[in-house]
Amino acid sequence: MSKGSVRLAGSGGDVAKRQRVRDGRSEYLSLVSKGVCDKLKKPLKGISYAKWGYIFSIPFMLIFLIFSLYPTIYTAVLGFTDCVGLNNSEWHFLDDPLANFDSVIHNKSFTTSLRNTVVIWMMNFIPQITIALLLTAWFTSHHNEIKGKGFFKVVFYMPNIITAASVAILFNALFSYPVGPVNDLLVSWGIRDESYNFFVDGFASKCIVAFIQFLTWYGNTMIVLISGVLGISPDIYEAAEIDGANGIQTFFKITIPNLKTVLLYTLITSLVGGLNMYDIPKLFLNGGPDNATLTTSVFIYNQAFSGSYLFNRAAAASMIMFVIIALCSAVLFYVMRDKDEAKLQKEARQAKRDAKRKGGMW
Amino acid sequence: MAAVANKKASSVVFKVTAYTFCILLTVISLLPFVIMIINATRSTTQIQQHAISFVPSTFLKSNFEVLTGKSFDPFKGFLNSLIISTFSTICTVYFSTMTAYALTAYSWKLKKPFFTLIMCILMIPAQVTSIGFYQFMYKIGMTNNFLALILPAIASPTTVFFMRQYMIPSLPMEILQSARIDGAGEFRIFNQIVLPMMKPAMATQAIFAFVTSWNSLFLPQILLIDNEKHTLPIMVSQLNGDIYRTEFGAIYLGLLLTVLPVLVIYFLLSKHIIAGVALGGVKG
Amino acid sequence: MKKVLSTIAAMAMLVSMAACGNDSGSSSGGSSGGDSGKKGGKETINVWAFTDEVPGMIKKYIELHPEFGEKYTIKETIIPTTDGNYQPALDQALSAGGNDAPDIYCAEAAFVLKYTQGAASQYAAAYKDLGIDVDNKIKAADIAQYSVDIGTNPSGDVVGLGYQATGGAFIYRRSIAKDVFGTDDPATIQSEIGPGWDKFYDAAEELKGSGYGIVSGDGDIWHAVENSSDQGWIVDNKLHIDPKREEFLDLSMSLMDNGYHNDTEDWGDAWFADMKGEGAKGIFGFFGPAWLINYTMADNCGGKAVGEGTYGDWAVCEPPVGFFWGGTWLLANKDTDQKEGVGELIDWITLDCSENGLQYMWANGTYNPEKPTKDCVASGTVMKMSDGTVDFLGGQNMFDVFVPANEYANGKNLTQYDESINILWRDQVRMYTSGQKSREDALKDFKRQVSDNLAIEAE
Repeated sequence: MSKGSVRLAGSGGDVAKRQRVRDGRSEYLSLVSKGVCDKLKKPLKGISYAKWGYIFSIPFMLIFLIFSLYPTIYTAVLGFTDCVGLNNSEWHFLDDPLANFDSVIHNKSFTTSLRNTVVIWMMNFIPQITIALLLTAWFTSHHNEIKGKGFFKVVFYMPNIITAASVAILFNALFSYPVGPVNDLLVSWGIRDESYNFFVDGFASKCIVAFIQFLTWYGNTMIVLISGVLGISPDIYEAAEIDGANGIQTFFKITIPNLKTVLLYTLITSLVGGLNMYDIPKLFLNGGPDNATLTTSVFIYNQAFSGSYLFNRAAAASMIMFVIIALCSAVLFYVMRDKDEAKLQKEARQAKRDAKRKGGMW
Repeated sequence: MAAVANKKASSVVFKVTAYTFCILLTVISLLPFVIMIINATRSTTQIQQHAISFVPSTFLKSNFEVLTGKSFDPFKGFLNSLIISTFSTICTVYFSTMTAYALTAYSWKLKKPFFTLIMCILMIPAQVTSIGFYQFMYKIGMTNNFLALILPAIASPTTVFFMRQYMIPSLPMEILQSARIDGAGEFRIFNQIVLPMMKPAMATQAIFAFVTSWNSLFLPQILLIDNEKHTLPIMVSQLNGDIYRTEFGAIYLGLLLTVLPVLVIYFLLSKHIIAGVALGGVKG
Repeated sequence: MKKVLSTIAAMAMLVSMAACGNDSGSSSGGSSGGDSGKKGGKETINVWAFTDEVPGMIKKYIELHPEFGEKYTIKETIIPTTDGNYQPALDQALSAGGNDAPDIYCAEAAFVLKYTQGAASQYAAAYKDLGIDVDNKIKAADIAQYSVDIGTNPSGDVVGLGYQATGGAFIYRRSIAKDVFGTDDPATIQSEIGPGWDKFYDAAEELKGSGYGIVSGDGDIWHAVENSSDQGWIVDNKLHIDPKREEFLDLSMSLMDNGYHNDTEDWGDAWFADMKGEGAKGIFGFFGPAWLINYTMADNCGGKAVGEGTYGDWAVCEPPVGFFWGGTWLLANKDTDQKEGVGELIDWITLDCSENGLQYMWANGTYNPEKPTKDCVASGTVMKMSDGTVDFLGGQNMFDVFVPANEYANGKNLTQYDESINILWRDQVRMYTSGQKSREDALKDFKRQVSDNLAIEAE
């Protein structure tokens, strides 16, 4: 089936070309508001395609219901009980349902962990997104060909492949005190007189954790962004080049706006991943020293598995984190929403009303 | 003339900066691997004295023997890991694309709530569900079963989210409509038209899904009890098992062996990401 | 370029896999002898451990008693404790029950109390219910008291016993002893460094005069301090900081201020380097049980025979303060269907004091002919029959020192929360000795963290 078999009545090649930069739906809507073609809007032979939406979602829903729903709801419920200890089947709902939440919020370790999580995440994410965008710009640039970008793309992703445990062992060995590679370097280059114990310095430990996170994820982010850029039609870039745009203008005015949806994905997954940061803080220094690298997920794990099995408090903390993450994500969604689409939907609704008044076509 | 020369000069500056930066990043990114390779050739005692060294040694063979001696069957572990990872990657990518398609191509009443639900699932910390999950698996006797690790991969919120974000700007509705006009069923449209268009996105997610599944240790360790069913990461972690004498040399070798297959898959799949499939293909 | 890389990687992989495939064909045949797949008529015993030590012992038993191997199939689950994965998995398997639940499971000294007396003790079977005549056998084998104390549940039944005796001694360098004290005789050195910490620190000062440190890091003296305290961390459900344990803050600071150590962290690279004598300054000694000698120091002394590295330059003497460190306890699931088989195995490993029992072989180095190592075992009877002479200690019979040391081991000042509390405590002490906070703050933060993580308030 040839791609060009749809010839829109009265449209002509130029209109279609210019509109192609918008997404499929807005293109369709703009054509509708031109009152051009109702063939696309009226369902064929009266069949509603809505049911297909449900059908295609069934596998996901089924698996989710079976494997994830029960544990999730069970945990949520536990937050309101006094369930403590191993294999406790006799827990009760608390008289004061918010008691666990209250104790978690006032738990100094929790507030410290929340602060740490945000700080470490910022230290990790800001360099990460900057460098990933930079590399994306360079590697998809039509102006300056970087030779060997295939090689670089491969190499930059590689740290993502190593398990967190291995990376933790490696960095523990790198910064070890009193003897270790980094300390040896510091002393032999004369920067310090004697070894420095990084692992009792809270700030240094935070930086190392942030760096590890950066190293293991920047390649991943870069690849996601690049695959997003590859989805942008090269015609736009050609047009821009003809119009005389340079590299920077192309990047900021064309690439980034068209990358919005994928960028939203990156931001949200980074946010969720960052606020749920568990592997490295736990395996590297187990939240130490003195809670300096304690993140909320490690805090939750400790509540549940330090020996007192405080499952109710762990559950309450999980729910609090969930609410925080949901709020932040909602903000991100709102900020990154497609304002054009919102505007077009408004126009479409307006056009519909106008058409109705004029009577006829509908 | 000056303008052209300027452009050339700034291009050179740009290239020099870019290359230097990239080479620096390369060194940092490759460092862990170099260390792993070198440590795989050193003996445990050497590693315990100096954890990092850039001088390889001669203990590769003896580390190898330790590895195989401790009933570490890498071939079996590799096969098990391959089966689990491949199938769960296929499940994740296929069904997530399908779910994303449902969210993008059709308008149905529960669409928005469903998407919100998926986002909510994404935000729950993994520990919350994992504990309840394996409790559940024990209760229904699905331990020692690869399916317990493969089937849940069908519902992967991050992949669905990514495919949806990717599809929104790039799914060409007219092509779908014209296919419908030509009489194709929905499944056919999905499998024969949409999937090929999503190749870069699918390849990207396939790599991520494969790596995550391949490296996962916690759940497989608890669910796969039989020695015959152990995956590669489980076997490597068992090398840590001697509390008195951890065989670091063999561990690094094991880690290296674990990483190699992933690199191969990555090289194979990265072709699809790099070969730009330009979408929006209603070309004249 | 990518194609080349991927081909190389693929080939490297295939070659290694093929080589492994051939090798393991023979080894897996031997090692996984009693695996699943041959169910027909045989009963299955599920063994959970965190090292391959106990599963190895069971295999040895089947080797010596083939009839056992015909009756039972052994399924082993080994999850190392390194990433903290062992306990959650074990707990879930125990609470879920059923056919896949463990029949025999191991617990290490750091967390054994949870399984014998604490939150998970509900799953443990009393040894007497397995058909073992516990009281008499313990007397006959003269099992170290602390091991019995730890393995007794609140109802007074023995539910777990260890196969090792991990009473600790002071392991010191002969050459340094001669250099500073004029002799390397254990009896003399013993009276130089103890009894008591005051004498120990006096000796440290003397060693410092000759440019040596007395221990590698503060972790070395911690086990002695911990185990010699009068009471444990929890008294009447409240956090209790025993004065002897609180003293650790000062002892550690003294080591740091006076430069008596190399400020290493136990199990870190530098700690191992000190065993070889390659640290910043020479280190006089280590605190440890017999297993530290054979399994840790021997591998890290820089040699395999007398004259290489520090091999042969060591000796043991009584420590200034008695203690024990480590050990593995064996427990049985009270819902096991294979009570007889399980009882037989546990009996052979922990209570059999004949020359065919595990304890004798373990103590005398005949257990693994390829790598003969001697260790202290729980049965005093066996220890009396055994010879602990090792070249590593310059020909000294280490049992002469370790057997009496077991009597000082205290099994009554432990709690099930020790693992977590000790981590928090050591963390705070380190913050104090490295100058990051004051003594009062370290104590205050310690109490708060215990309260935050374990919901246990201070007294």
